[in-house]
Amino acid sequence: MNKEKISYKKPLLETPFHKRTSEHCYANDWYRWAGYKVAKEYSSTELEYTSMRNTAGVIDITPMHKYEIKGKDAKKFINKLITKNITNIQSNQVAYGIWCNEDGMVIDDGTIFCLNENHYRIFCAERNLNWFCDTATGFNVTIEDISSSIAALAFQGPLSCKILNLLKVENIENLKPFHFDNYKLENQNVTISRTGFSGDLGYEIWCDPSQAIDVWDSLFKFNRDYKVLAAGMNSLEMVRIEAGFIQPNADFMSAEQALRPNRMRNPYELGLGWLVNLDKEYFTGKQALIRHKEKGPEKKLVGLDVEGDKPAVGSVLYDNSKKNIAKEIGIVTAAMWSPVLKSNIAIGFVNKEYYKLGSNVYAEIYHPEELDYRKIWAECKVVKKQFFNNPRRNAIPAFI
Amino acid sequence: MKKFDVIIIGGGHNGLVASSYLAKKGKKVLVIEKNEHVGGLAEYANSLSCISPIIKKELNINIPNIKDTDYIISLEDNQNHTILEDKNGKLSFVKTNADEDDQKTFLSIINNYKLFSKTLGSFMHQKPPRVKSGKRSDLFQLMSMGWKIRKLGKKNMRELLRVIGLNIADDLEDNLNNDNLKGLLSHESVLGSNLGPRSPGSILTLLYKQAINDNIFNLKKIEVTNYINQLEDCCKKNTVEIIKSSEVRKIVTKNNSVTGIQLNNNEVIESACVMSNADPKTTYLNLLGAEILDTDFIRRIKNFRNKGNVAKLELVLENEINIKNIDKKMYGKFIYAPNIKYIEHAFNANKYNHYSKNPCLEFYVNDNTLSANIYYVPYLINASHQENEIIEKCVAVLSKFIPDMNIRKQELITPNQMEEKYNISGGHWHHGDLEIDQLLMMRPFYGSSQYSTPVNGLYLCSAGTHPGGGLTGINGLNAAKKIVEDLK
Ligand SMILES: Cc1cc2nc3c(=O)[nH]c(=O)nc-3n(C[C@H](O)[C@H](O)[C@H](O)COP(=O)(O)OP(=O)(O)OC[C@H]3O[C@@H](n4cnc5c(N)ncnc54)[C@H](O)[C@@H]3O)c2cc1C
Repeated sequence: MNKEKISYKKPLLETPFHKRTSEHCYANDWYRWAGYKVAKEYSSTELEYTSMRNTAGVIDITPMHKYEIKGKDAKKFINKLITKNITNIQSNQVAYGIWCNEDGMVIDDGTIFCLNENHYRIFCAERNLNWFCDTATGFNVTIEDISSSIAALAFQGPLSCKILNLLKVENIENLKPFHFDNYKLENQNVTISRTGFSGDLGYEIWCDPSQAIDVWDSLFKFNRDYKVLAAGMNSLEMVRIEAGFIQPNADFMSAEQALRPNRMRNPYELGLGWLVNLDKEYFTGKQALIRHKEKGPEKKLVGLDVEGDKPAVGSVLYDNSKKNIAKEIGIVTAAMWSPVLKSNIAIGFVNKEYYKLGSNVYAEIYHPEELDYRKIWAECKVVKKQFFNNPRRNAIPAFI
Repeated sequence: MKKFDVIIIGGGHNGLVASSYLAKKGKKVLVIEKNEHVGGLAEYANSLSCISPIIKKELNINIPNIKDTDYIISLEDNQNHTILEDKNGKLSFVKTNADEDDQKTFLSIINNYKLFSKTLGSFMHQKPPRVKSGKRSDLFQLMSMGWKIRKLGKKNMRELLRVIGLNIADDLEDNLNNDNLKGLLSHESVLGSNLGPRSPGSILTLLYKQAINDNIFNLKKIEVTNYINQLEDCCKKNTVEIIKSSEVRKIVTKNNSVTGIQLNNNEVIESACVMSNADPKTTYLNLLGAEILDTDFIRRIKNFRNKGNVAKLELVLENEINIKNIDKKMYGKFIYAPNIKYIEHAFNANKYNHYSKNPCLEFYVNDNTLSANIYYVPYLINASHQENEIIEKCVAVLSKFIPDMNIRKQELITPNQMEEKYNISGGHWHHGDLEIDQLLMMRPFYGSSQYSTPVNGLYLCSAGTHPGGGLTGINGLNAAKKIVEDLK
C-alpha cells in the first residue's frame, strides 16, 4: 500500500520560506493554515509585535488562497461576485471587497489586484474556488487556483519603506496605498503592493517560489541598524485587532461554512455596509441586501474600550452595571491588551440598542490566575473598530 | 408593435393549457413554439388514461374514452404471459401463472397504493406551499397536508410513512412470490425516472404517478393527438396568438424584471410577463442567463437532476403484427420487464451512462406498426448513441414474441434527439427526476417553487414544476392561476 496516500500520515506542507522560518522558529510552534505550516510564534510574540509597530516585521503569508481570473468577462465576473462596484478600477490598483451568498450573508473578504482589464487576481483567507467557478457560470472567464505558484511575504511596519528604499527598490516611496507594481528587489523581479493587515505603513511582496529565500534574506540585510524580525501569526493577530480588521471564522462564520443559519452575518452587521453598492445592476445577494439594509442590523460588530487591563477574551456582554439584573446583549470575538495604545481593547457583537458609539455595555471577564479564574465585571465603551490607524499608512510619499 | 399581457415560451401541452386559461381570464397571450407543431413531448406519449378533471372543467374539454376495457400484458420469455384487464379502472386477472394468493396480494397492494395516492392526490392539483415564505397561507397548506396524512388512520399512516422512502423491490419481495408480477409493478415505478427497482424512493414515484394519472398503469384510454388538437382549438377559440417555427433565444430583463423576449431572428417582443414551458435548466441557464442569478441559485439549477433515459422506437413491419400466445382482442399495453433482477441489471448500465444491452420495453401495436418506450437509454453528454445496436437489442427482445419480424421502417429517438428537437435539456420525460428532493415545494428547487422565479414577471409552467411530467396540464393551469393572482 502506498503510505503517502494516507492523509493523516502526510505532514503539513512547507512554504518556500520554510528553510528560513524554521531557522527563526525557536519555539517550533506551528499554525495550520490551508494545509501549510506557518509559525505561530518565533521566539516572543510581544517582540514580534513590537517590531511591526516600531521597525518592521516579516510574515510568511504564502498559504493565502490566490485565484487568477482571466478573460473577456473578467471584470463583469468580479462585479457579479463582490458587493462593491469595480467598474472604474485601473491596472495596478487593488480593491478590497467582500462576497455574499443569496441571503446577503458574508462568505469571505479579499483583495482584488487588477493586472489589466481582462486579468485579475483575488487573494483571500478561505478556499473559494468552488464558489468562484459557480459564480462564473455564463461568463467568458477562466478561474485558476494559483495558490502554490506564488510565494508571499507581508512586510509591515513604520520602517518598511525605508528598508525597501535602502534595498534600492526604485521609487517605492511613491507607491500609493492600494496599488501595486513590479519592482527589482536586489536582482529579483518581484511584485510589491502597498497593502496589509497592520493599520500602519506596510507592503506585501509577491514572488516566484524559487526566489523566496533570496527575497527573505534581503529584508533582514540592514538588521544591524534596524531590527527587523520574523513575525508569527500570534503577533499578526494583535496588529489586526488594533487595526480593526475582521477575520472570517474568527469574528464571524463564513456563510459557506456556518452550519447554523443564525450564525451567518450580513455586511451591515459587520460594519461593512460601505462595501455594498446597491446601485449596481446585479451581484449575488443584492435582493437580500436591499432587505437587510431596509431593516437595519439586529446586532453589529463594534469596537470596545474595556475598563481595566485584563483582556476580555470570549466574554459575554451585558446591559447593566449590576450583575444580578443584567441581560445578555452581545459577545466578544477578539480582545487584547494593546501595548501601543495602552488600552484594553476588544471587538464584539452588540445588539441594536447598543451599537451607537459611546454606548455603555458590560463584559464579564474570566481572567485566569494560577489555576483559578478571577471574574471581573468591566464597563466597556462602544468605539470605532479601527483602534489604530497611523497617518503613515496612507502618506505619499511614504515615510523613509 | 403589439403588446401582450403574457408571452409563453413553448407550445407544449402545459403551455397550451396555461395560455387558454389566461386568455379566458381576459389576458392577451402570445405563444411562441420552436417546432412547426404544438404539443412538445406529447408527440412521444402513447398512454393517457384520463384528462385531469380540473382541466376538463376549466377549459371545457371533453374527449370520450377510446374503449372501456383495457389490457395490460406482462410478457414472459416462456410465453406464460400475465394478462390483466382494466374495466373502468377495476383490475382483474385474465390469465396468469401466479397462484391465487399472489393474485389477491397483488390486487391488494395496488389498492393500498391507490389509497395512499389519494392522500397525495389532493396535493397534486394545488400549488405546493412555499418554504420559508412566512405567509400564513403557506403554513396553513403545510398543516393541511399533514392533517390529510394523519386522517389515514394510525395503521395506514404508519404504512405510508414506512413505504414512502422505500424501494419498490423490497416491498414486493416481502409480499409476492411471482416474478412476473413483481416485474410489472417495478416497471411502472421506474419508467421515466432515474431509478431502478432497488433505488430508494421508487415507491414514491409510483404513488405520485398514480395520483396524477388516477391509474397505476397509465393506459391508452384517450388519443393523445386528439387531446393536443383540442387544446390548440381551445387556444384559438380564446384568441391566443400562436407563432410556430419560431424560437426564443433570450428572455430580456432589466433590473431584475422581465421586459420581453428576443427571438432567434433578433426580433424583440415586449411584455412584462413571460412564462416558460421550456424545462427549468434551459429557462434559467440558456434563456435567462446565469449572469443575473445568485450563485447559490445557479448551484441548485446545476444540481437539478434531469438526465433522461427513455428512448422511443417506432417500427413499421411488412405484415400485421401478431404476438405469440395472445388473443388479438386482448392487445393493449405490452410490457417487457419480466422480473426485478432484469430491470435492475438494465439500470446498472444506466448508472455508467451505457445503454442497457437487455432493455425493458413498453409498447403498443396497431396493425403493422409498433411504438415502444425503451429504457434505459441514458442521455449522453459529449457522446453519441450507437443507435443501430440499440435497435438491434430491442428487436432481439421483440422477436421472442413476434415471430414474423420483417421490418420495413425503423426509427429510434434518443433523449439527445428529444433535447435537440424540443430544447428539453437532458431529454427527460418529466423535465427532471421525480424524487423526494425534487417534488412538491422543492420542485424544481428551493427558490423557484410555486411557478415563480427570482426574476419579477418570469414564471415556469413546464413538467419541471410541480407536479411533474405526464399530460396532466396541472402545471400549466396552476402557473396560469398564479399569474392571474399576481397580476391582480
Ligand atoms: C419517450 C417519452 C414517452 C412519454 N410517454 C408518456 C405517456 O405515455 N403518457 C404521459 O402522460 N406522458 C408521457 N411522457 C411525458 C410527457 O410527454 C411530458 O412530461 C409532457 O409532454 C411535458 O409537457 P410540457 O408541456 O411540460 O413540456 P414539453 O412538451 O416538453 O413542451 C415544451 C415546449 O416548449 C418548446 N420550446 C422549448 N424551448 C423553446 C424556445 N426557446 N422557443 C420556442 N419554443 C421552445 C418545445 O419545442 C416544446 O414544444 C413521455 C415522455 C417521453 C420523453
